[in-house]
Amino acid sequence: MTTPPSPLSTRVPLWRDVRVLRVVGQVLAVAVAFLVLRWLLGNLTSNLDRLNLGLDFGFLSRPTQFQVPYHSTFNPRAPVADMVLVGIKNTFLAGFSGIVIALTVGLMVGVSRLSQNWLVARLATVFVEFFRNIPPLVIIIFFAAAVFTFGPFPNLREAILVSAPGSSSNLVILSNDQWGIPGFAGGSPLFTGLIGLGLILAAAGWLWRTRLNERTGRPHHRLAWFLGILIASVIISYLALGRPVSMSWPAQSENRRLIVGGFALNWGFMSVTAGLGLYTASHVAEIIRGSILAVPKGQNEASTALALSGFQRYRFVVLPQALRIAIPPIINQCLNLVKNTSLGTAVAYAEIAALTQTSIGNGRPALQSLIVMMAVYLMFSLSISLLLNLVNQRFQLVTR
Amino acid sequence: MKTTRLLAVLTALMLVLAACTTGGDTTTTSGSEEPAGEETTTTAGGDEPTTTAGAPEPSGEGLLETVQARGNVLCGVNDVLPGFGVVNEDGTFSGFDVDLCRAVAAGVLGDPEAVEFVPLVADARFTALQSGEIDVLIRNTTWTATRDGQEGATFLFTTFYDGQGMMVPASTGFTTLEDLADANICVLSGTTTELNLTAVFGARGIPFNPQVFADNEQLRPAYESGQCEAWTSDASQLAALKATIEAEGGEEQFIMAEIISKEPLGPAVRDGDSSWAQAVEWSIMATVQAWEFGLDSTNIGSYSGTDPNVLNFLGTDGFDPGLGLATDFAITIIESVGNYQEMYERNIVPIGLQLEGSPNDLWTNGGLMYVPPYR
Repeated sequence: MTTPPSPLSTRVPLWRDVRVLRVVGQVLAVAVAFLVLRWLLGNLTSNLDRLNLGLDFGFLSRPTQFQVPYHSTFNPRAPVADMVLVGIKNTFLAGFSGIVIALTVGLMVGVSRLSQNWLVARLATVFVEFFRNIPPLVIIIFFAAAVFTFGPFPNLREAILVSAPGSSSNLVILSNDQWGIPGFAGGSPLFTGLIGLGLILAAAGWLWRTRLNERTGRPHHRLAWFLGILIASVIISYLALGRPVSMSWPAQSENRRLIVGGFALNWGFMSVTAGLGLYTASHVAEIIRGSILAVPKGQNEASTALALSGFQRYRFVVLPQALRIAIPPIINQCLNLVKNTSLGTAVAYAEIAALTQTSIGNGRPALQSLIVMMAVYLMFSLSISLLLNLVNQRFQLVTR
Repeated sequence: MKTTRLLAVLTALMLVLAACTTGGDTTTTSGSEEPAGEETTTTAGGDEPTTTAGAPEPSGEGLLETVQARGNVLCGVNDVLPGFGVVNEDGTFSGFDVDLCRAVAAGVLGDPEAVEFVPLVADARFTALQSGEIDVLIRNTTWTATRDGQEGATFLFTTFYDGQGMMVPASTGFTTLEDLADANICVLSGTTTELNLTAVFGARGIPFNPQVFADNEQLRPAYESGQCEAWTSDASQLAALKATIEAEGGEEQFIMAEIISKEPLGPAVRDGDSSWAQAVEWSIMATVQAWEFGLDSTNIGSYSGTDPNVLNFLGTDGFDPGLGLATDFAITIIESVGNYQEMYERNIVPIGLQLEGSPNDLWTNGGLMYVPPYR
């Protein structure tokens, strides 16, 4: 009979020991990546040296030297960093408005597509299929061309003035270049601070009513309390500060080339927001439809057995479960929308990508400008995903 | 299983070693045939680029040798500007700058068709030049200090003296810049036009609102629909556009008399390669020199006079100043693209600009075209 092998001879040799190979493999992978990166950076620095171009960010403090569209208060001698801030503001405005449009329209269309009404369902399908299958750039350019450049509106000098009934001021000003809508004038930091305080009080009220409901079972009416506290605090601070804010109506300037007062929306902003809002809405509609269909059919049947109406079924049973599924893809669509605002270059909208392109064309260092632009988009994406992930966590199922 | 894993590790190791040894330098074929005049070129014309330590230098091989070995010139041009650079329906390029590219190819390589045209938008032209995507940029580009410095370009002989102007529809009746206070003005992104517009209007205290587009195809509908009240660009571009718009049945246009800036347009090459720069420059200047001598594409091949300056220029006696060009490069250039006057009359006169009386006339006629002697 053979003797069992001695302990020493059962040790696996190093070159085929799985644990050793794992570590060696990972170390080698890191080494390869590091060397490739070093080679690329070496290429970059040697080429920049050959052309006498630097890799510093000093250009951010030098004058911009060109005027930013639709910002008559922007001084061309301001440093490039100010131009970047203008770009961030414009990207934020387009992104925020686009997300609002996309989520509201998307929710409505998504639910409509599941409606029992044949016409409503078919119209929603047409909407989704039309906007989903066309590239966003084409949609934006189409909007700009159809509504503004070749559209029915006249030039700003002969703009259509829609007056508020019974008064001499304008409600809206329509032209193919800018639209004027009513806005607010005045306002002070104190007023804004008091409104913020009101928001906090309203949130506290929301939490109090929820706790009350959990403890005693009384209906919480927390939404009513939230809105009630908020509106009351706004009215009280408005009256207490002596009406600091008033409505401002849009009007044409002396030479009829500007809109003074109110809020002026330019055609680039409107094309980007509407185009991207509707494009992303079609995607959001599909996400919501899919997530509603993913709720188990038994839930619908159980709700009907409990005599819940259609609206109650959606509101209390289906949508809470559906939203849990829908939120991560919706976060994705919001990020896509913010990044797609870079298509504003096609309609002369001065968001960060267009301004970066202009400044590179005017002699700013290309690599550094692009790094700044990427950092801006990264900041937007990270903030949005952070915020919405907090919402997502609140909705998640708590399982073991 | 285990052997494949080992093989994978070995392959990765070999790739790493390969990446290390090739380093960052990717220049040209070594051992290529070089014309006999090469030695004099690199010592006489070449200078060391001003670099810091650690930059791998191509040993003695400049762009001139690279282009001659490669056999064609990569030329950055415009493809949507009538008169200077356009793409025709059959895919060929034509225009004043395009003809200059052909002149460079004829001078450097002896073949006017040994050119690859790279159409570029204004924003991308200097990054293309810096990265080596093109050898020379002949794309109605203005010579400025920032472009010489920060953009790493070297500008050569100015081939077209231009200025910036303003165009409005004739029906508006505007005649001066002050009429455009607070107006929307269409302008191309990444051009000196944009900067000049801001500077001039700022200096005069006239507020305005720029509408910035990437190229003329996007700009023109905005201008024609009235979203912009004025269009600013080089006066030569405005002349071409006015002709095009009116020919296509659009509104009548009016170009204001006021010229806002100096726009010397010329070819540009990368910093740090003087021998290539000089070869390009002398090829282009040959077109003006031929015009001054009264030689054009019809009579340059049959010159029978005895003027020693002309004989040097034509290389009849084998005169070679050591630029790395063939001795009869001038004949090749003029026979293929013509002299400066012929190129101008072929491309620019049709868009409405005359040569006589403009700054682009010969110095003997009161213009600014003055080339150094070929001696």
